Amino acid sequence: MNALPGGLEQSFRLAAGELGMCTASWLFARELGAAGGAAAVSQLRDELGRMFPVLHFVTSRWLEQKEPLPPAPDRVLEACAGADQLVVVGLEAMYLDALLGRLPGLRVSVLTESPFKVDWRRVLANLGSNVTGTELSSFQRLAGRRSVLLTFLYGRQGNVTHITPAWLRVMGPDVRTQFRTIIGWDVLGDRMDVYPRWLFGISTEDFTHLV
Amino acid sequence: MMSNEGRTGTVPLLPLPPGTATRPRMPTTRTRGEVALSSIGAAIQPDRLEKLLAPWLPEPADRAFVVRCLVGEGPHHHRGSNYVLLSLLGLLLERTAITVDPHAPTAQVPMRLPPHLLEHNPEGHYPLLMPLAPLKRLAPEGSAAFLAMVDTLTDGPPQHALANAAMVAMLDVLLARMDGQP
Repeated sequence: MNALPGGLEQSFRLAAGELGMCTASWLFARELGAAGGAAAVSQLRDELGRMFPVLHFVTSRWLEQKEPLPPAPDRVLEACAGADQLVVVGLEAMYLDALLGRLPGLRVSVLTESPFKVDWRRVLANLGSNVTGTELSSFQRLAGRRSVLLTFLYGRQGNVTHITPAWLRVMGPDVRTQFRTIIGWDVLGDRMDVYPRWLFGISTEDFTHLV
Repeated sequence: MMSNEGRTGTVPLLPLPPGTATRPRMPTTRTRGEVALSSIGAAIQPDRLEKLLAPWLPEPADRAFVVRCLVGEGPHHHRGSNYVLLSLLGLLLERTAITVDPHAPTAQVPMRLPPHLLEHNPEGHYPLLMPLAPLKRLAPEGSAAFLAMVDTLTDGPPQHALANAAMVAMLDVLLARMDGQP
């Protein structure tokens, strides 16, 4: 019997685009779990897990009765000490929200690139008035001696971690030397269970700070 | 099997004219670019450069950024060269007190941003500034030659331009000491 509501993949794509894959995955696991129990979450994993490896990871953890990695922005704040500009590549609302409230005096910009279709005006409005959008063609306007780049990491295994394609567009050898600090913030805490498909593995050594 | 032949030995010299006294061969070492990149990386001690640059870059985050650009980015042979040359200058500086005049004229080392973005980015330069005093010894300040020197030293990828600026800063101290300046 199909315990899942129709159009779930479309809904997940929308949520993943506007909240981030990890945040959306926990939201879906919890809501489906509340409505249909473990059977519904297990079915969600079976149907969409291979396409969305972060969702597979999260639903597996939910089924093991585990909790998400707690958003602990302290180490991000330490890495941002003395900076005046933060550029965020990728979205993970659960983690970004915990950080944004603790960044007085720091200008924050989010790169408006995503593997999903995103209404960036709505996303930026939700993030708060001190957060602006920036594009691939102009984000280097925000580079500088007190500028920080941050992206979210989807698990780590040894010195390999996975990131969204937007990070590959940003992190060229030129940009590496234009930002003082380069932060990778792991939101999974462990390696993914299934092939990461359109996420990409890079070296953790690409980051000056791993959180 | 890999051969080590030629990696260490003597440089063959041009033949001397008949009747000329024999020229002694000087022992030397050469490589053919066969050194593993990991060996270059292992030889670099970023902490040494961070300590060395502290008088010019008092902020730890600034130092870490500049040192990363000097020995952590770009081609490995540049990283290694930067480390060796700056460390050697550092050995000289260990023999003298380092005083940096924060009001002395300096030049910024710009980041290599696209021009239309650099115009709108006042922060688009590195925290290490290049002192201009040593260049005044070579050309009058403001002259075409002087400006050309500043340009050539501060232009280019950061592993070049920042290494230039750091070396000029260290030479500035050493030259001043040799002149008997405090």
